[in-house]
Amino acid sequence: MNDSRDLQPVPPQESRRPKRNLFAFLEGWLYLLPSIILFGVFVFYPMFRTIYLSFFLADQMGPFEFVGLENYQYILSSDSFQSSVKATILFVLYTVPAGILLALFLALLTNEKIKGIGIFRTLFSSTMGMSVAASSVIWMFMYNPSIGVFSRIAEWLGFPAIQWLQDPDYALLAVSLSTVWMNAGFAYLIILGGLQNIDTHLYENAKVAGVSYLYQLRRITLPMLSPTLFFIVTVSFINSFQTFGQIDILTKGGPVESTNVIVYSIYKDAFINNDVGSASAQAVILFFCVLLLTALQFKLGERKVHYQ
Amino acid sequence: MKRLLAGLSVLFVLFLTACSSTDSASGTTEDGKTEIIFWHAMGGELEASVNEIVDEYNSSQDKYTVKPVYQGSYEESLTKLNTVAGTADAPAVTQIFEAGTKQMIDSGNIQPVQKFIDEENYDTSQWEENISSYYQVDGEQYSMPFNSSTPVLAYNKDAFKEAGLDPEQAPRTYSELKDAAEKLTIKEGDKTSQYGLSILNYGWFFEELLATQGGMFVDNENGREGEATKASFNDEKGQKVFELISDMYEEGTFYNSGQNWDDMRASFQTGTMAMMLDSSAGIKGLVDNADFEVGVAYLPHPDDVDPQGVIIGGASLWMAKDIEENQQQAAWDFMKYLSTAEVQAKWHVESGYFAINPAAYEKDIVKQEWEKYPQLKVTVDQLHDTVPSTVTQGALISIFPEARQQIVTGMESLYQGEDPKAALDKAAAEVDTVLEKGSRSR
Repeated sequence: MNDSRDLQPVPPQESRRPKRNLFAFLEGWLYLLPSIILFGVFVFYPMFRTIYLSFFLADQMGPFEFVGLENYQYILSSDSFQSSVKATILFVLYTVPAGILLALFLALLTNEKIKGIGIFRTLFSSTMGMSVAASSVIWMFMYNPSIGVFSRIAEWLGFPAIQWLQDPDYALLAVSLSTVWMNAGFAYLIILGGLQNIDTHLYENAKVAGVSYLYQLRRITLPMLSPTLFFIVTVSFINSFQTFGQIDILTKGGPVESTNVIVYSIYKDAFINNDVGSASAQAVILFFCVLLLTALQFKLGERKVHYQ
Repeated sequence: MKRLLAGLSVLFVLFLTACSSTDSASGTTEDGKTEIIFWHAMGGELEASVNEIVDEYNSSQDKYTVKPVYQGSYEESLTKLNTVAGTADAPAVTQIFEAGTKQMIDSGNIQPVQKFIDEENYDTSQWEENISSYYQVDGEQYSMPFNSSTPVLAYNKDAFKEAGLDPEQAPRTYSELKDAAEKLTIKEGDKTSQYGLSILNYGWFFEELLATQGGMFVDNENGREGEATKASFNDEKGQKVFELISDMYEEGTFYNSGQNWDDMRASFQTGTMAMMLDSSAGIKGLVDNADFEVGVAYLPHPDDVDPQGVIIGGASLWMAKDIEENQQQAAWDFMKYLSTAEVQAKWHVESGYFAINPAAYEKDIVKQEWEKYPQLKVTVDQLHDTVPSTVTQGALISIFPEARQQIVTGMESLYQGEDPKAALDKAAAEVDTVLEKGSRSR
């Protein structure tokens, strides 16, 4: 913004103001236009179309019979959807806290100025550069009961080999573990960035006062980091609700639907079972759940956030 | 920065315009040839094979050019087809798996090949009847069979010898199967180093094990006499299949190999289990990759039934309706070429899929191949021994993909100790609901 004109006092020429306002208004819209078009085409239109389709029986060619709320009734009364909700909630609980704590721990470790720390920083953030598909295939091999490294370790320790991905008791846990690993890089990088932004004077003062490390962590680091943490918690929640790739590759929603999270169930209904109406209704339900959760987070969580 | 932004926005506009001007899927090339698009789902080595066959076709005549496009798995390519079907952009020829047959017929976007058979008095009796009948409804040939396979029992001959079993005498009945599996299972303490049998958690195997007993998957003669309204696989025949799995799993002779074909084959090759059900199309690769001798036998059946044989699996080729006449002619010409004995012989040898034209089995390359892989002949024999009926024609329902998921969920719940009858009834109830919903489609 090199327009110095904005900084100068506006001359008191009332008659010219409406015209300039209109111009500024249009100019503003012009700047917004690219993003409005992008959002409109790729976010808002699909969203409203999904809500519309959820009231119809529809296949991939489009809607063909208006049924009102029948799709919703069918979903809410089906066992399959209930197990999807359960799997989704469990998945979020397994991945979000563990992922953030792990990232926070690693970030605190590497926030020191030590020789060679760059190597560790690169290592810890490297999962960000891996595609979900590639990492899932690697994890799939590791979980393989015949040739995978996990069964080798179990065997070596004298435990019976677990069929991680074929056993409904472990499958969700196994997928969660790989997800934590995949998401750790991103969370780590954001948190490390947040840590680096904290004013070093605060730590120098703490040193002079001679407080313990834990006290310093509780009273300086975490409060100063809270905007970053708030951001990463919100983003992780939303990401976790929308996880798809690793489930498609590792378990396909099985065994006994134990990893059939809502997003995967939407995919199956829309693209395999050709039941777009039911898929849309599930998408709408998921949308409102995530919306509600995010709103709650802003209402409750943000109070504790300390902005400088 | 500004320049970068400007550059980006230009790129974006270019991207948008590129999106809006879709290339026409088929057309006429500059040299006056008619070009058609052929969508298929043959990945890996099979893709190379398909490309080679298409190249040979293109150079064998100068009227038509076929462009093969790999579209991912069967499910993926069906999904993609649904988005363009009925428009001018639809590919002239698409390969669709057997479970998508009813969906294709109902879509109304396909041209039954019967029209061309009638126009030319094309002799369909040269085709293998057990294969082509799957794609016939009310006497009308809808699609052109292309790659067909059936399930077989594959077993480790070396393990048979070690267990004191006759490696040339594979189990045929359920009690023989259980007996052999028990002898093949090797336990060390509380660990099992070799299991007897494994069946992939995949609906197709259940359908086959049901059909070989003469069981129907759905009512109305498997949906071939009229629209299917109810699942019928939860009768005592279906229960026998689920009981077999459940019993053997409880006895510790059955290995749960999940839902992934490659995982199952890897486990078989590393000796985790000594017997498994596999597709006839996978046999050649299995023989090549195993460091032991692989035996192949017919699908097992319960003790007291007369085996009816198998239902055909695999895929067929469908012609699009709303394309130009000359493109349909090109598609038909290409299909005819594919069904010649020469091409089918090559295809059978390279892929392990059946020849839809039995004359191919008389070709030298097939005879040589069978000497090298006698296992391939077993798969063909099993198909020839099949008794043609609505049972072995297979079910005709549009909701097949979902029905298969329900069967898989049922199979998986067996490993959790679910009662076989309860698991089957639950799957049947789900399928009934979906059938009811599906009947309301356009």
